[in-house]
Formats: sequence, structure tokens, C-alpha cells
Amino acid sequence: MRKQALSGILGVLAAFAIGALVIALQGFNPVETYGALLQYSLFSGSGFTATVTRAVPLILTGLSASIAFASGPVNLGQPGQLVMGALGATLVGLFVHLPSAFLVPLCILASLLGGALWSGLAALLKRAFAMDEFIVTLMLNFIADYFALWVITYPLFDPSAMTPMTRPISAAAWLPDLGGVNTSVLFMVLAAVVCWLIMSRGRSGYEWRMTGQNSLFARIGGCKVDTNYVRVMLVTGALAGLAGGLMIMGGPHRFVKGLGANYAWDGIMIAVVASNGISGTFLYGLLFSALQQGAIGMELVTAVPSEFIDVLQAVIVLVVVAGRVSLNMVFDRLATRRKLKESAA
Amino acid sequence: MNVLFGLVSAMLVGATPILLAAIGGTFTFYAGIFNIAMEGMMLVGAFCAVLGSFFLHSWFLGILCAVAGALIMAVIFVLFAVRLHTDEFLTGIALNLFAVGLTTFLLRDIFHVKGAFTNAGIRAIPAVKLPLIDGIPFLGRLLSGYNAIIYLAILVTVLSAFIIFRTRFGLRLRGAGYNAACLNSSGVPASTIRIWSLIVCAVCCGLAGAYLSLGSVRLFAENMSAGRGWISLTAVILVNGNPWGIAIISLLFGFFDGLTVFLQGSRIPTQFTAMIPYVATLVSLYLYSVRKRRQA
Amino acid sequence: MARDVLIDLQHITKVFPPDTVALSDVSVSFESGEIHALVGENGAGKSTLMKVFYGLERRDAGDIFFRGAKVEFRTPREAISAGIGMVHQEILLIPEYTVWQNIVLGAEPVRAFGTVDAHRAREAVRRKIEEFQFNLEPDALVGDISVAARQKVEILKLLYRNVSVLVLDEPTAVLTPQEIPQLFSELARLRDKGHTIIFISHRLDEVLTLSDRVTVMRRGKVVGTSAACELTKEDLARQMVGREVLFTSRRQPQEPGEIVFGARVLNCSDTEHRARLHAATVEVRAGEIVGVAGVEGNGQFELVNAIMGLTPMTSGTLEVKGKDITHADILTRRTLIAFVPQDRGKMGASVAASILEDAIMTHHILDPRFHTWRGLGLDYRHAAEFVDQIRDQFTVSMGHSSDPFSSLSGGNQQKVILGRELLLETPFVLMDQPTRGLDVGSIEYVHQLLLDLRSRKRAVLLVSADLDELFMVADRIVVMCQGEVVADLATDATSHEEVGYYMLGGKETAHAETGS
Repeated sequence: MRKQALSGILGVLAAFAIGALVIALQGFNPVETYGALLQYSLFSGSGFTATVTRAVPLILTGLSASIAFASGPVNLGQPGQLVMGALGATLVGLFVHLPSAFLVPLCILASLLGGALWSGLAALLKRAFAMDEFIVTLMLNFIADYFALWVITYPLFDPSAMTPMTRPISAAAWLPDLGGVNTSVLFMVLAAVVCWLIMSRGRSGYEWRMTGQNSLFARIGGCKVDTNYVRVMLVTGALAGLAGGLMIMGGPHRFVKGLGANYAWDGIMIAVVASNGISGTFLYGLLFSALQQGAIGMELVTAVPSEFIDVLQAVIVLVVVAGRVSLNMVFDRLATRRKLKESAA
Repeated sequence: MNVLFGLVSAMLVGATPILLAAIGGTFTFYAGIFNIAMEGMMLVGAFCAVLGSFFLHSWFLGILCAVAGALIMAVIFVLFAVRLHTDEFLTGIALNLFAVGLTTFLLRDIFHVKGAFTNAGIRAIPAVKLPLIDGIPFLGRLLSGYNAIIYLAILVTVLSAFIIFRTRFGLRLRGAGYNAACLNSSGVPASTIRIWSLIVCAVCCGLAGAYLSLGSVRLFAENMSAGRGWISLTAVILVNGNPWGIAIISLLFGFFDGLTVFLQGSRIPTQFTAMIPYVATLVSLYLYSVRKRRQA
Repeated sequence: MARDVLIDLQHITKVFPPDTVALSDVSVSFESGEIHALVGENGAGKSTLMKVFYGLERRDAGDIFFRGAKVEFRTPREAISAGIGMVHQEILLIPEYTVWQNIVLGAEPVRAFGTVDAHRAREAVRRKIEEFQFNLEPDALVGDISVAARQKVEILKLLYRNVSVLVLDEPTAVLTPQEIPQLFSELARLRDKGHTIIFISHRLDEVLTLSDRVTVMRRGKVVGTSAACELTKEDLARQMVGREVLFTSRRQPQEPGEIVFGARVLNCSDTEHRARLHAATVEVRAGEIVGVAGVEGNGQFELVNAIMGLTPMTSGTLEVKGKDITHADILTRRTLIAFVPQDRGKMGASVAASILEDAIMTHHILDPRFHTWRGLGLDYRHAAEFVDQIRDQFTVSMGHSSDPFSSLSGGNQQKVILGRELLLETPFVLMDQPTRGLDVGSIEYVHQLLLDLRSRKRAVLLVSADLDELFMVADRIVVMCQGEVVADLATDATSHEEVGYYMLGGKETAHAETGS
């Protein structure tokens, strides 16, 4: 655990250093740039709350990917599951008329179901036809994207709008802000806590982790590997779907084109760099949210294009992942040297 | 008749990037590498092709730049996955994300546009008329006049089949995939072979990317590869790496890709026609899995 | 007979991080034209020493001299071009390639454009086969030929590259008693032709039969080098282990009870509808240890898988204590069967997990004391207590239960697995090669454990490739060949030779060796 934290911190710092080099080569001032980044993401009231709110889909899709990867299934379908969850929440929000106390949970349920349905489809194809979920979830991403685009362009199109989008959902389903932070954060934190409990303290979490590490061992041990597979796919799909639903309910309150575009892939990235740990996912989710939030301000102040953050994020992932391995090698070499001295003495 | 030619042409246009990338993927497949960075290599290739063609005023140099860009991606992959022994899967995913971020950033940074860049200054790869065949009335129109890269792709396919199954390198390549420890103890380092397979794959993916941005169109758009790298990977797995099988599968996918364009004028909403290549991939994966199960 | 020193290893030290000192100041010399055996228990360092010499591992200290000159082989390729070849314990061939392809791989004759000259390759291989009188067919697929033949391909691969020194790592581990003399005569012929052979083994009888000189290693150090004619088996064993070792069975005579386990007329086929198990029938009674002998790949693994429910059977029945488990799921079987699998890392544990996580598998389902929160939660506190119980009862040398499983030595890992399985308190215990890769101390421990189970009237089915082990602990030995149970012998009434005879399907052998 400590090694993880160490490699994480070192990796992030190293990536920032590389990023500084890139910025400098472009003719900008790294200190000014990073300063603006921090200012607009963490050190200002509006920036901080925006960071926290933006972290909701990042952390949720990150949790989805983390749990999936740790348990075996290669679920790369978070982008599609997010879209389907958002669609679910939108449908309920548009056509069901109930007071907030009922509509909000219902919309959330719809988003969970939407995401679970999409990942469940991949699980079904795997179980029935042995179709590798890696490719299936990837293909389903594209299909979901286009399907959603069709839905908001034709059947659910808002006639008063210029670009493809739906009408706003019922106001009873809108999630309000509380002190600048959107209440969707509460649901995200709740989901994160539940995930942590399942994975660290639950019998299911234990079986899932063992299956992810060595499915034959788990199978011989009596774990119902096939049932667990479906459960993991459904749960992780639901998590990604929840991200989509919360985005609709807390954000634009309607399904607009391009919603959630990169969040889900960022979620996968977060899971990778957090080595599938729940708390790591949470922290890295906040970090990447801060980077993304600060990027807009950074561009205003220093003219460095906000897309630079995309590069920085990827570099962080590469450096942390590589650093983890190198750190292990360094530790091993140190241990060897120590042992040699011991045996010579 | 025109419909037929149009369809064949669309089929070849759609098949070529997948064919090229998949042939490259064959080399890494036989070497035992699960190369999921092909998508990223293609994207970087497409971007560098436009870069080279625009600033160096030559489509040929554009192709070279595309290959160079993909090679840099391969070098990073080698550095991480082969030398540092990081997990291939993680490295591949990270590289793809890096490719998307980098190309989007550079698009903004160098060309100062968001979304897509197109300009009259970009030199596209020309079509080629085959000298003798072009004159033949029916066959000429069917076989000649395609983009240079399409002919290159056919050449690459034939060459790769020869290399993999007849040459010493090919014997060692497959050996690295079947049993890397055996190859090592035979005196040939498997990591060297793997590095070479990645280099070949990068060249092929670079060519595929160049075709995407300089072949039938003359632009670079964000995330232009649109999952073709994944489809190529699927193709490689489906045929177990056989180059001839890949040629056939690529034509099939190309057909569906072309169908998308073809159907765009029709009454079916464009969103559904756009889904076709991905649904086709799912269907072929289904058929593959069913076939494997029937064998069991 | 005076011979020159060909290979001189001096003061070699090798540490595997974080704590294992595999070799500590080891100095050995090998003379040209001799067969020299390197002997020691598992973990003594003999394989590691040769791997360091060969370029597969890097040493941390010491020098290597070859033909008087200081050398450093950084890769096996360098060692091979110097004329040294090593045949490993796990046969490293490519089953999808033919014999000649495997032999020339890495040194292929080529024509224009780098194409492989298949014709020349085949001819060269054929010439070598005739020169050394091996019985091989160049165009046969390596995946189709016998294990002994594959070993010959490995040796021929090195001879094709004109090596003068052959290092063989536990070559007899994969052979039947009848195939061993053939290998020995081939090795003797090579020695007479001027080759030098270094022979790693822990089988003392073979070592004394074949070699000229013997070097004994223990715990990473050299104990001594002597001429083989001056040593007895007891001398060797004492040097290997450091104390007296008993070679007789400690099995007390005991009357077995009722049938606990029955596998009757099991049939299994694989994906190509080849019969992997054919009418296999085995019964084990309470208080009895039944051993399963056989050349690897003759159905033992399929039998184990069928019993555990990992692969389906086409017909047959399985029962434990009268309960029919033929179609039961794995969990149901686990309530009745404790299972110690062949491959610790692949089947017995998750190497990436902590000791605790590996120790509680199956118990976490079957034992309510592990459940909290109405069965949803896992009681990690009780789990830690459970691990302590295993540690005390099975004398596991370990740190904290949250340490990684991989930090344990092989013997201790096996103890944890044994502890986990045996604490399930099942009537029937299935063990597959439980002592493979363990040091002598651990092996003795496992044998004692088996005998304890036997005296406590549990039923044990023990699959083992080690005939010595079977003769020491098993009451009966069943022999498997080609997926069938071809013999059911009482241990006290049979011999190694008879078992070997059945292992080969009762075929006639060319040498009718006695002794050993």
C-alpha cells in the first residue's frame, strides 16, 4: 500500500515535470501555467466546488472500471453505459410526473438500470456465446453513442432547439446545488462508500477479487465464478449508468449531444493509474477533475490550450504505471544488496 | 454497373485501413503480444500524415511522417512493456489515451482549430492507373485507378504471408508467440523479435492512418480512427493471424463500411447506418464463437 | 584417470530479492570428458548454479573460468557458441513445430531473402540422428511424440550446435524406470566420444550408477566433491540433508475401513473426442492411502479434474461416503473433498493475494464463523485467527497474515494450502503431486501428514510421479496408462520394476535391468 502511494506521488510529480518541459518548449511559463491551473481548480471558491462536482462522473466511471478490472471482466464499456444511464434518467424525467421525493430516486434507478442493461447485454453475449466482453463492450460504446444521437435527433428532439437535444426533464428531477456543490456529489460519495464496503469487507468483494486474480483458484475453491461474472458486469454497468444519470439531473437537465464524451474514458484511465483500488480511484478522480477544471482557467490566463490537460493526464498514467514497476525493481535491488552484505558478514 | 463499381470502390476504401492495421497486428499477434495500442498508432499516423503533407507540401513525406509518428508510439510501448515489463494491457490503454490527448492538443496548438482540420494545402495521396491493365474495357475500370495505398496494402499482405511462413524471421516470430522461453534458450532473444514485430506493426498502422487522412479525404478530425484499430484487432483474433484470412475479413468489414456511405442517401437514419461496422464486428465475433464451440 | 579442468566456478554468490540467498560462495570445478553429478535437495541451489553459469541468471559475485580463460556468459547464446548447452527440467520445445524445426530454430540454414532451407535442415538433422543413434523422425510434430523422445530432441538440438559440454537438469524426472537406462547408455556414449556431461539430480541411485564424480550441495553451499565409486547412497543422503535419512517406509500396518471414495467407470473425452479417461475405476477406503502412478499425460490430470468437477465426464459415477456427486457442483464436492492441486500458483492459490486471503478460500463459504452482516460481510478478524491456527498447527514459518503469499517459501506455501484444505475436515482428501518442488524437510513433513491422516481413518488419493514416495506412504498403487487404470497393486507385494512395466502399458522392454 505504501509503495502504491509512493509511486503515485512520484509519478504525478514526474509527469508534472515533463509537462513543465513541454510548456516551456512551447514558449509559455510553466510556473504561471501551473499556478493558474491550481488557482482555478482548488484555490478559489467557485473553482473548488466546480472541481468537486465535475469529479462525480469521473469517480463513478473510475469505480466502475476499477471494480471490473479487479474482478476479472474487461469492461471497457463505461462510455456506452454512461450514455444509456443518461437516457434512462432522461426518459423517466421527461415522461413521469411525480414529486421530487419519488422522481429523484426513480430517475436514479432508471440510470442504474440503463447502465446495467447495456453491460448486461455484453455479459449475456459472453455467457451465451463466449463472445469476449473486451471487444463487445467497445463496440457497444459506438452503438450506444449513435443510438443516443438518433434518439435526441428524432423521437425526443426538442423542437425549439438549434442542435440535437431533448427537452428539459421535469424540474422535480433536478438536483440542486448546496453551497456551490451539486447534490449529485452526495450520491457519488454514497456509491463510493458502498463500493468500498463491498470490496474490502464483503464476501462478494473477496470472491470477486480472488476471481480477478486467479479465476481457476476461485472456481476450485467453490466460488460461483459465472454468477459473479454477471453480477460484476451488472454492478459496474450500473455505476457508469449512475454517472450518466447524475450528469443529466445535476447538470444541463437534458440530454445534449456530446454529453459525457470523455468522462468515461477518463474513468478507465483513473482505474488504471489507481491500480483498481477504491480509495485510489477516489483520489485520482479528484486530481483529474482538478486538472480538467483548472484547464479552462489556465487557458484564459496563459493561452496554453486546455487540451494540454489531455496530454498531461495520459503522461501521468504512463509515468505512474511505469514508475510502479521501476520502483519494485529498485526495491528489489536494494533488498539484494542488503542481503549480500548480510551473508558476507 | 456504376453501382457495382461504386460498391467495389467503397469496399476497398473501407477495407484498406483495416487490412493494413490488421496485417501489422498479425505480426504482433504471432509474436505473442496483445497489441491494443493499434488504435492509437493509427490516430497518430493520421495526424502526422496531415502534418507532413501540409508543412512539407508532399504526400509522400506525409506518409513518411505518419510512419514516423506510429514508430514513436511503438518505441514508447517497447520502452514500457518490453523493457520495464509493465502490463501490456495497461500500457496499451494508456498509449491510446495519450494518442487521443496528444492529437487533440496538437490540432489545437499547431493548426489552431478544434474538431477537424482541412486545407487546400494538404496534398492527398494520388490514385494510380495501372499501365497495361487500365486499357482493358471492363477489367480496367475494376482493377485500375485506385489509390496508391490500396495497391500498397495488397503488396503488404502478400509480403507478410511470405515473411511469416517462409523466412527465418517468420519461424522465430511464431516461435516467440508459441513458446518465448524456448526461443530464448535457442539463442534468439524473444524480446528482440517482439520489438521487431512492434516496429512492423507501427509501420503498417502508420500507413493505415495516412490512408485515413490523406487517402480518400484530405483532413484530420479528432478521434478519426473511430474504433478501426479495435476492429482490426478483432479481425486478427478471428482468423488466428492468418494474412489471407485477414484480407478476406477486411474486405468484409470494408463492405459494411462502404454500405454505410452507400445507405446515407436512403431513408434509414444516418445514425443507424453509422452503426453498421460495429454491429458487423459483433456479428462476426458471434459467428466465430459459435464455430469454436461447435468444434468443442 | 587424469583429466583437465574444463570449467572452474569460483566463489559464486546469488541472491534472489528480497531475502533468498540461493548461492553462497560456491566453488566447483568440472573436468573434461567426465560425467559429473550435481546433487542436492530441492532449493539447494544446483539448478541456480548452472543457470548462472549458462547465462540465464546473473550472479552477484564470483568468477567463471572456461578452458582456463575467464568468461562471462550474458546470454545462453554466448554459452552455446562457446560449446556449452543446457537441457532444462521443463522441456522447452515448440509443440506446433516439427522435430527438425525445433532443432534448427535459432541456427536455421537459409536461402535467398532469408527463407528457411527446409531441405538442408532436414538432411542435417537426419545426419545427426544417425550419428548419435537416436530414434527420431525429423518431420514428426513435437507435440505428438513421447516425453522421452522430446528430451532426445532437446539434446539433439544442442548437439546440432556442436556443443562439447552438456548440462542436464533433472532429466530422469519425466521418464519411466524403463526409459532411464536408455538415456544413461546414450549419455555414456557421448562421454566416450569426448563430451563432458553435468548431470543435476536428486535421485541418489541414478547418480551413483551413471556418474564419475559427484558434488553435493546443501542450502546454497558446496558440501563436497568425491568420486562416485567411493560413495554409498547413505553417504550422499547424509551430505545432502546433514543428518541420517531413513529410506524405509514408516507405514504401520493397518486394516482399512469402509469405502469412502469411489470413482467408477469414468469416461472423459477432450475437444477432439479423444478418450482421455476410459473406464477408470478407483476406490479408496477409510484409513487408506491409494497412490496413482503413471507417466505424465496418461489421464491422471483428467482423473483429478473429473473428481473435482472441473471437466465433465461422459459417463461414470462418483461417490463420497455414499453420496452421489457425479453431477454435483464444485461447492458441493468441496464439502466432501479436500484438494491439494498439482500447481500451487495456478490452482492452489492466488499468488498476488495475501496469506490470509489464500488461507480462507472455501472456508469463507462453508464456515458460518466467517460471516457477518447477515452473511454479506466477511469477518476478517476471525480470518486472522484462522490463519494463526494454521500457522501453529502446521508450523508455517511466516510473518504477518497480510503479507503477500509470494513472500513465503515453496514449502511454507504448501503448508498453508495443506492447512486450509485439511482443516475442512472432509472424509476424503485428494492430493496431486503435493511434494513437487519442495525441500527434503518439507517433503518429510508432508509424508508424516499423510500418515497421520491415514491413522486418523481419512481416505487419501495421492497422485504422484515419485515412485519412491508412493512406495513409502501408499497402501495400494494404481497405475494409469492411456487413460485406463491398468493395474491395482498392493505396495508391499510389488516392485518399482513391476509398476514401471504397467506404466508403459505392459510393453516388452529391451533391457531387463535389475538392481536400483
